[in-house]
Amino acid sequence: MSTIIENLRQFWYFTGFANATWQNFAMIFIGIVFITIAIKKGWEPLLLVPIGFGMIIGNIPMFPGLNIGVYEDGSVLNTLYQGVKQGWYPPLIFLGIGAMTDFSALISQPRLLLIGAAAQTGIFGAYLLALLLGFDPNQAGAIGIIGGADGPTAIFLSSKLAPDLMGAIAVSAYSYMALVPVIQRPIMLALTTKKERLIRMPVPRVVSQKEKIIFPVVGFLLTAFIVPSGLPLLGMLFFGNLLKESGVTRRLAETARGPLIDVVTTLIGLTVGASTQADKFLTGNSLKIFLLGLLSFVIATTVGVLFVKFWNLFLKGDRKINPLIGNAGVSAVPDSARVSEIVGREFDPNNHLLMHAMGPNVAGVIGSAVAAGILLGFLG
Amino acid sequence: MRNSRIFILSILSLLASVTLGAQNLTDLLIGEVLVENTCGMEDDFGQRNGWIEIFNTSSGTVKFGGCYLSDDKSDLKKYHIPTSDLAAKLGPRQSIVFHASGNASQGTFYTNFKLHRGSTVYLVSNDGRTVIDQVEIPADLPADCSVVRIPTGIKGMDFVTEINQKPTPGSYNGDVDAKTKSQIMKETDPHGWVLTLIAVMVVFTALIILAFIFGWIGNFNKRQASPKEAKVKKTRKGKKEGQTGEMTPEIAAAISMALSQEFGGEVYAAIALALDDYLGGGVHDAESFVITINPTPGSTWADKAQNFRQLPR
Repeated sequence: MSTIIENLRQFWYFTGFANATWQNFAMIFIGIVFITIAIKKGWEPLLLVPIGFGMIIGNIPMFPGLNIGVYEDGSVLNTLYQGVKQGWYPPLIFLGIGAMTDFSALISQPRLLLIGAAAQTGIFGAYLLALLLGFDPNQAGAIGIIGGADGPTAIFLSSKLAPDLMGAIAVSAYSYMALVPVIQRPIMLALTTKKERLIRMPVPRVVSQKEKIIFPVVGFLLTAFIVPSGLPLLGMLFFGNLLKESGVTRRLAETARGPLIDVVTTLIGLTVGASTQADKFLTGNSLKIFLLGLLSFVIATTVGVLFVKFWNLFLKGDRKINPLIGNAGVSAVPDSARVSEIVGREFDPNNHLLMHAMGPNVAGVIGSAVAAGILLGFLG
Repeated sequence: MRNSRIFILSILSLLASVTLGAQNLTDLLIGEVLVENTCGMEDDFGQRNGWIEIFNTSSGTVKFGGCYLSDDKSDLKKYHIPTSDLAAKLGPRQSIVFHASGNASQGTFYTNFKLHRGSTVYLVSNDGRTVIDQVEIPADLPADCSVVRIPTGIKGMDFVTEINQKPTPGSYNGDVDAKTKSQIMKETDPHGWVLTLIAVMVVFTALIILAFIFGWIGNFNKRQASPKEAKVKKTRKGKKEGQTGEMTPEIAAAISMALSQEFGGEVYAAIALALDDYLGGGVHDAESFVITINPTPGSTWADKAQNFRQLPR
């Protein structure tokens, strides 16, 4: 009898109930809230469901040594987490993004690339502010990349520069990307006049298939030669685009933009969620990161819009650019381009800015990958 | 919708407060081991014991509670590092010392075994089986000399094992003057302006060059195209077509023709899209840039898909 009781007692020590703390329950609750919102509201479900469930998985109290936790070597979760830790999930996602992105809008109006470059100042504005708040340069660089409005890039760079801050940075980047309409609209309205919002831009020219094939090759060679440290992201982005545009690798392109990106998105969401631990709840640094992330989006949007206004001073007639597409320079594809379209149509229902905004939008993806490469080169 | 987003923001802000607590245990290594301590570091009880230094090679925090230390390959679970001790963790590139006093009751950082020359020290993962790192102690190791792992590079964290006559328990074993790129930047550019200016210039330069190249390629292509297509047509009202931003039937037809030349079979999709835009539909799919009408090139007489039916007739 005593043996049975002793074994039952031992079993009890292995259960989650015996090892639970209130922080575990708090994190599990947040995970459930994420899943509920994703399902009920349909709000970013591809992201919130894996992260939410990952948070529940990662915060199940367990007896150490069972070799099942995300940080326990050789466990299943730990093996899956290597994609985040070693930084090979983000380039795979970039492969899929490249295979699903149409760069026509950019190729037809290459001058819009400059808006994408201007909006990257959000990254460096946040970098300067992070240094001011006492972060080390490598941490400041990882925080600054939130302004690139690109989740995979943020995870990639923070896993290299400041792994301790990666959870906060990833969640901050994804949350502000989802909040782009809330953040950008008031800034766009505050910085533009009604006359500027009504500017109509000429319909972009049709881009030939030859140009679409040349773009990923030339784009990759140029950016990779200038910033070799951005090779994993830029290489995969342009390679994915070449698969799409070459016309002879349709199956590969469909795999990259379909099943492959779905698998990697599931795994990255799940493991980032599982890696959030309850025992470091509400740290000062994390709150600072969230504040800096918001500021980086504000700076990027502001500079993007102001840059177009400034540029317009030198343009005449139908060459003028509607400053409402300035916000789209902060990647967040395609949400920020949609914001340009929606705000533009508020003032002129027949003025469609979406195609024009897609130019700086995808330029922002290239720009943020280049910026990540620079930060990695200087600080990694 | 906006309220729900603000609600999400507040939830996410809470979540953002969560940081990654740890990296992998494999990032740990035995940095330094000393067996006979006659004039070196004293422990908290004023005694001189042999000691084992554990070093975190990663740039993240590593929790090592639950791991084991041993000097016996047949008993890798000899000393269990308590999981309950919150101090059982190491920050980036930090080290900690375990006193090999032979009396574990003295505290978390006191092992229940003493070190001997000629033995091997094991650092074992919390599964009790996986050896994370091990160091062989030479049989002729002099007193007050340690076996030390010296990093040969800052970034790669490669190590060489040497005998050290001046042990450095708890401190960095490598060249203390060697600095990471981040530390160098902190000294040379404390406010970050230099890096910012360089980075902004590089980003602009890269994208300006790209813009020039594709501007040139675009102009070249336009010159190659038919002069008729390049000319801007006048509409009946005298407006210049293509400047209004409106999707007129003529533009839709032109796009479909151009797409027909480029894609062949996808012409139907292009026409459908153009008509949809012209009739005010606008949204053709949940995702932009995905044409959902697949062409079926050539004859379909041998198409396998045509040979399957849901129900036999």
